[in-house]
Amino acid sequence: MKENREDINIRNLFRQKLENAEIVPDASVRNQLMRKLGRREFLRFNPGRFNVYYLGTIVTAALVTALIINAGSGGDRDREIAPPLPAERIIPDVTLNLTGAEKSQATGETGEKVSQEGISGIYADSSRDIRQLSRNNITPVTDPVVTEQAKITRYEAPLSVPGGKIVADTDRAGSNLQIINIPGKALFVPTVTSGCIPLKVQFRNYSASSASPRWSFGDGGYSGERDPEWIYDIEGEYKVTLNIVYEDGRKELSSAIINAYPKPVAHFEIIQGDPANPDHEVRFINYSINAVKYFWEFGDGQTSEVFEPYHKYARPGNYNIKLTVYSESGCQDSQTVINAFSGSGSFIEFPNAFIPNSGGPTGGHYSYTSDLTASVFHPVFSEVTEYQLRIFSKRGILIYESNDINIGWDGYLNGQLCEPGVYIWKVRGRFRNGESFTRLGDLTLLRNQ
Amino acid sequence: MTGDLQIIEGCARHNSKAQKLLYDKYSRFLLGICMRYASDKSEAEDILQETFLKIFFSIGDYSGTGSFTGWLRRVAVNTAITHYHKNLKHRYHMDIDEYVSAEAGSSGFEEDFYTADELYNILNGLPDGYRMVFNLYAVEGYRHKEIAGFLKIDTSTSKSQYSRARALIREKLAILRKLKDSYTDNG
Repeated sequence: MKENREDINIRNLFRQKLENAEIVPDASVRNQLMRKLGRREFLRFNPGRFNVYYLGTIVTAALVTALIINAGSGGDRDREIAPPLPAERIIPDVTLNLTGAEKSQATGETGEKVSQEGISGIYADSSRDIRQLSRNNITPVTDPVVTEQAKITRYEAPLSVPGGKIVADTDRAGSNLQIINIPGKALFVPTVTSGCIPLKVQFRNYSASSASPRWSFGDGGYSGERDPEWIYDIEGEYKVTLNIVYEDGRKELSSAIINAYPKPVAHFEIIQGDPANPDHEVRFINYSINAVKYFWEFGDGQTSEVFEPYHKYARPGNYNIKLTVYSESGCQDSQTVINAFSGSGSFIEFPNAFIPNSGGPTGGHYSYTSDLTASVFHPVFSEVTEYQLRIFSKRGILIYESNDINIGWDGYLNGQLCEPGVYIWKVRGRFRNGESFTRLGDLTLLRNQ
Repeated sequence: MTGDLQIIEGCARHNSKAQKLLYDKYSRFLLGICMRYASDKSEAEDILQETFLKIFFSIGDYSGTGSFTGWLRRVAVNTAITHYHKNLKHRYHMDIDEYVSAEAGSSGFEEDFYTADELYNILNGLPDGYRMVFNLYAVEGYRHKEIAGFLKIDTSTSKSQYSRARALIREKLAILRKLKDSYTDNG
């Protein structure tokens, strides 16, 4: 069998050429490998190599253990620093003179004053604030006891905030700074915080109605509407800020992050083998962009999740083929080809002109090369089982007849090249699916210059 | 020249000099294997490094009776299989150019017509699954049932993947042949 012989050929080819082929690795590979090996060898426990590193490790471990035991019996001071601060937290250089005098008064004033940008993030937990301050060598005059519910801390303070934006409360005598943080309650809430482009976001504004809002959407867009709606067309992470200015001059600022994910693009091509062969498989070529997951619906009830599947249809016909693709962030796109095989399942088409070979009759056998010069008049077709082509002159005289679809007209009649001009063709036949066809048309015979 | 046996013993004692000797002696041979299972040289070199680490740490498993290169080959192939499983989910991309279809060319593939580099190129361009199955079956000579076990797939999948891989390779060989023919014609 041809298939088997080819298989053996290919196998032999690859085996003989590649089974013992050698490739010289880059010099860097050796060094990299030796480094990796060194690391692994070090981690491998080997009493034969008991050396200063092992000793060092053991000493360090013992020291750490001792420290932990000691810390357990330590005083309150230790406990205060015990919970570590988050590493990325920005600590502004705030110098405060603290008095706890007004702390009771502060309770209950939630919502009257809201912290400015930079502060709300830092004072997320007021009990931590104090720790932070004490770390900066600022000792509160009185221990500010802050109720967990209100989370308000009031400090009477001369302010110096490099890079910060703490606004002093000038209404009162002295400089008061009020830091209010209401966990989970922002000035506005977007309907969605992430999604696929085009991403439509509706922002709901919770500030007092008298306030004039200034929105910045992070992509260069602005709005002064109360509850604006914004569409992100380009993927990215956007910081939306709402700046509120109240009638009495107070200001509030709040922000949120919107993530607009890129959308994948589904695109594919269908490659048919030979539709006349009942065993042929249709191949799908996937040109999708940005996708990581694929779902094919072949239209005959079958599906696949393969990147580029092959599919065999049980019966020829018109199928709607749909490819749905999903990106990493779950965005999806799909493409459907309707009646995928209508153009190719069963058809017959004729050209309207040809240029016969001037050197003599060719017998009408046509091929890819004869088509390059259009020297034989013949149809392109698929799934044709019965076929009769007849060609007439303008006067109605039968010039040519063929019952073999693989033989076309070479432009000759009884060994003589026919005159250039218009001829009439008529074809009758039947497709594989039983449908019969009759077509009629004209063709122009051109002379080779 | 140090013999294989001394190198093996040295490696078993984790002697770094022996390890280097082993690398220098066999890295080219093993990279030749890894290259068949990779999509490019840097990936092949990654597999090569893993292979050597495995060899160095499990050289004690080598019984000393069979062929040493055979044992090395098995370690490399196993590493390539592990690598394939590890990277399975990252690999959907494929060069569209690779998919230009061509009519199946002549059936005889004379060995001397194609160079090893060209064949490596063809293997590197195959989809990962096809490449695994083709290598294991055609070059390594495993049976579909064994391959199915290695790759955790059905035997029938292994067979169909193999035949598709073969069809793709045939197409590529045909393209390559045409290209080479046109060069020789013009030049």
